[in-house]
Amino acid sequence: MDRMKRDEQFDGQLDSRLESLFKEYRASIPDPEPSAGFMPGLWRKIETRRTSNLTLFRRWAEVCLGAAVALALLMGAVVIPHYEKLPVYSSASYVDVLEADHPNTYVDILTGDIK
Amino acid sequence: MLVEFELIERARSGDSGAFNQVVRAYRKRILGTIARLISRPEDVEDVGQEVFLRLYDSLDQLRTPEVFEPWLYRLTVNAAYDYLRRQRRRQESRMSDLSEQQVMLADAAAGGKKSSEETRRTKVRELVESLLSKVSEEDRILLTMKEVEGLSLKELEKIYGVNENALKVRLFRARQRVVKAFEAEGGELE
Repeated sequence: MDRMKRDEQFDGQLDSRLESLFKEYRASIPDPEPSAGFMPGLWRKIETRRTSNLTLFRRWAEVCLGAAVALALLMGAVVIPHYEKLPVYSSASYVDVLEADHPNTYVDILTGDIK
Repeated sequence: MLVEFELIERARSGDSGAFNQVVRAYRKRILGTIARLISRPEDVEDVGQEVFLRLYDSLDQLRTPEVFEPWLYRLTVNAAYDYLRRQRRRQESRMSDLSEQQVMLADAAAGGKKSSEETRRTKVRELVESLLSKVSEEDRILLTMKEVEGLSLKELEKIYGVNENALKVRLFRARQRVVKAFEAEGGELE
């Protein structure tokens, strides 16, 4: 019982000693005065960040533009001629194709060509 | 609040002058918090600039000027966390390059001649630094914000965006680990 009481007392003392140690630590490091270069340094960093963001955006835009130009060239040089070379299924007009697919037997019967 | 809501609104709408005024009002406080979070005086301004750079980039996402301070503290916590993680990686690789003797010599040289008060302050810093190194970077920051910076659970709740009970549990566990480390160190400064 006595030992438990002593342990509790010791823990309490340790806690309060730690608390005062933290207080002393707080006092040993006061708020420092900012140097004269603090604000210029901060604005330099802000500007650098802003410029690097712009550069990044510009680079990204250049990559997009480059890709668009390359795609256009590819289509102009390869894809379109390739499709032009493919066999044309029909050079006839839409009406001619229809007529060829559906021979108008009705007219032929009327004109007496089919008996 | 150290500035008027109207000034934050102006900064949010892209007014550089207003942004400058906001930075000037908060920089000392933020630099102090960073100094105690990272314990590396030479890097405090750099991390501080990173905080305000992130503020500049994200100011348009701020819903209302009322939540400005927790928002700024959140940016501070995040920047300090990123720094500590980078630092731990860097330190691990640097320490692996040095022999034990070289490390001891470097420690001795760093001691130098100091006044007794300065020596005590250095010892306090070293002890707290060593105790906080026993917990993860997240817990170290949380514990520092609560125990050293003196922020309330309500304020921490706003900064972290998690409920008070979750924070209490996390703080309790982190504190327990630090207390154990403190006990192992003898529970005394000297």
